[in-house]
Amino acid sequence: MGKLTRRDFLKAAAAGAGAMTLSALLEACGKVLPTSAPLTNSEASSPGKPTKASLSHPTGAATEGLPSATDTSPAPTGTPVPIPDIAVTMGGEPEALVRQAVATLGGISAFVPSGANVVVKPNICVAYHTYEYAATTNPWVVGTLVKMCYEAGAASVKVMDHPFGGTGPEAYKISGIEEQVKAAGGEMVNMIQYHYVDTKIPDAVYLKKTKVYDDILNADVLINVPIAKNHDSSVLTLGMKNLMGAIWIRETLHNSLHQSIADLNSLLKPQLTVVDAVRIMTRGGPTGGNLSYVQQKDTVIASRDVVAADSLATSLFGMKPEDLDYIRIATSMGLGRSDLQNLNIQVMQLNA
Amino acid sequence: MGQVTGPWIIFRKTVQYLALAIFIALFVWSRQDGGPATLINIPMRLDPLLILAHLAASRTFLAGSTLALVVILLTVVFGRAWCGWLCPVGTILDIFSLKRWRKKRASPADGWRRVKFDLVIIIFAAALLGNLTLLFFDPLTLLLRTLTTSVWPALDRIVLSIETVLVKVPIFEGPLATFDNLFRPAILPVQPVFYRDGILFAAIFLGMILLDLLAERFWCRYLCPLGGALGWVSKLAIFRRKVGTECKGCTICTDICPTGTIDPAKNYASDPSECTMCMDCLEACPRNQTRFLPEFSAEKWTDYDPGRREALLAIGGTVLTLAILNSNGPAKRQSPFLIRPPGVRETNPDAVDFTKCTRCNECIRVCPTGGLQPAVFEAGLAALGSPILAPRLGYCDYSCNACGQVCPVQAIPPLNLEEKRVQVIGLAYINENRCIPWSDHQPCLVCEEMCPLPQKAIQLEKAEVWDPDGQTVSVQLPHVLREICIGCGICEYKCPVSGEAAIRVHMPKVDVPF
Repeated sequence: MGKLTRRDFLKAAAAGAGAMTLSALLEACGKVLPTSAPLTNSEASSPGKPTKASLSHPTGAATEGLPSATDTSPAPTGTPVPIPDIAVTMGGEPEALVRQAVATLGGISAFVPSGANVVVKPNICVAYHTYEYAATTNPWVVGTLVKMCYEAGAASVKVMDHPFGGTGPEAYKISGIEEQVKAAGGEMVNMIQYHYVDTKIPDAVYLKKTKVYDDILNADVLINVPIAKNHDSSVLTLGMKNLMGAIWIRETLHNSLHQSIADLNSLLKPQLTVVDAVRIMTRGGPTGGNLSYVQQKDTVIASRDVVAADSLATSLFGMKPEDLDYIRIATSMGLGRSDLQNLNIQVMQLNA
Repeated sequence: MGQVTGPWIIFRKTVQYLALAIFIALFVWSRQDGGPATLINIPMRLDPLLILAHLAASRTFLAGSTLALVVILLTVVFGRAWCGWLCPVGTILDIFSLKRWRKKRASPADGWRRVKFDLVIIIFAAALLGNLTLLFFDPLTLLLRTLTTSVWPALDRIVLSIETVLVKVPIFEGPLATFDNLFRPAILPVQPVFYRDGILFAAIFLGMILLDLLAERFWCRYLCPLGGALGWVSKLAIFRRKVGTECKGCTICTDICPTGTIDPAKNYASDPSECTMCMDCLEACPRNQTRFLPEFSAEKWTDYDPGRREALLAIGGTVLTLAILNSNGPAKRQSPFLIRPPGVRETNPDAVDFTKCTRCNECIRVCPTGGLQPAVFEAGLAALGSPILAPRLGYCDYSCNACGQVCPVQAIPPLNLEEKRVQVIGLAYINENRCIPWSDHQPCLVCEEMCPLPQKAIQLEKAEVWDPDGQTVSVQLPHVLREICIGCGICEYKCPVSGEAAIRVHMPKVDVPF
């Protein structure tokens, strides 16, 4: 290599300075990004048809908190099977639970077109504990979804979250999610500052502008895979709250947390929400760290409507949808439905 | 000197660049979940000044320290070959040589060479009294500190700016994703890190380079304490420079010698404790009169080697200075925010001065959050360069024990994760005047949410309070359970109150010595 002359140095320096200026300019232009299509759950729902499931709210052990399993038999041939608003699977291995729940909603191809770029958003909030502590989404639930996306012909499947305790790569490893996602052929994305794009939220009441991760904004399909767990400032963290992992600054939102969650959900509309309730954390959340806080439920709740999925998931904890402010706010903003009594909920017991 | 060339010079430069590359590679590899500590620590353990001073101060012998014998033996055979062939700082000074702007024959008087020897005396005198502050000026710690606190964060910022531009161009999407997933985690900080005194450490290193304007290898000639220590060992070196009888006194060797130790007045002889064995004179001599031949006798003491009186003065000054330092404030009344890495308080009776710490900076380098920072004045002058946790800049990660694993002298004990998780490094206190629920009656609870302890050291009290309009509002007020708080500082780091956090980690409870 030749000597670096003064001219070369100045050129390089000018190019560097130019690049930084250009970056500032482009930032100022405010890249407008298309969001995914709005939810169309009307075609799938059948309003007025009362669910056969009974909504009791016991606080006991496994499977008690959910509607009892009833409707597992296939509909008579000849008549079209109505696609339920919410599919619940219970009692089985995570992979079987996820596959059956998604199949009931019309199969993964109903959500993931061939060639789609998919983002799967699990909850990987800390790097502190393994999945047994139920602070992070079950790795096999995430892995199965990645596998299914590729089976449907997805072009790419990226999995990401922005942990608040510990670093991303560390959390991906400790949670066990990285191993399952890589085995399924998916990509773990280390979320980096410059990928967050200033985004306006037109329908927002409080969170009118925030920085959102570009891959999540640009995804053809967004699959939301929260774990159902206790969270002291939002009571429970489920699907809607899980999307907070897509934005850059979260701590300053806590004085309007519930409104902010609802606002963000008016921007990010996952095509599919799969609530992992294989193991749930009943207290000490969101970080957990004690196995006595964990209950094994072997349950998965899937829906096109994140509000509906969250509403039903509250029953795992012996609560009602109205108990969560963000569900109440989201319902009144028209982001989804929380009137469980009017929703078509199909519950399937796998290992009956 | 760039002009001289020949097989020896090519050989020497190859070794120099290789050694520098290995040093930087090991630096890059020192990270949480990075290379094994035994490899990462090789440069520090090779450094005899650092290892022997630590031995004198701590009176504990560590098996890994025997590596320093390699450099001592190298010096006994080849003199200060470390300085000319291996030292990364020496190589950097060669690369950034300011020869072109240097005035000819402007070198300071030879007498100034004694500074580095005096530094050696002071460092060892202080070490025997249990103080390692001046290892701050060991060349390896200086370089590692500069790379960690200024060069690498700056590099990260530059890469980030370039990426911010490139990400808007579609064709770069793939390469950027590959870079971010494969190379970024291996090379750059996982999350941006900030060192409050990075500019100071960068300025010190820049000053070392700028001193080259006064004389080539100014640092190595006059100041470097490691160079001084090795220089004294070189008095016994087997291979010494000899000038043949056919020397015609052309002064070429005198002019090119990077440490200016070839003296025409002494028949072009040189001082083995100044010679870095760079072989420039060997290759440059037009009559091949320079040879390096074995000799088995101790070299004589020179004018600038400190005499008995000067040594006694240095030792006396050290004792007096340490006495003054120990009688001032921080020694007894430590800063309320003096938070040491996990386990330090338990294993160091004197966690304030942190006498076992060699200031090597490895712990600061591996801390994934950037919470560990080199102290400047925060812990008193005697603790200059030692690691302290600054929770507003980064917290002690509940799933990390990297600092204790990497410490080459176990000044931070090598705890496993379970042991580390129960170390109390500080205690959190809420400032109720700034806390959002306490003073503004708004919901917040970020600190409670962030607390990594399974039993949560922050608990919420449901309370009815009056707002300014006289209405009763219900809020949840955070309280710290200090019997279980470990002081990791994530609450202070994440506290959404601007500026000073509304919850701050203070020093843990210690037995008050007065």
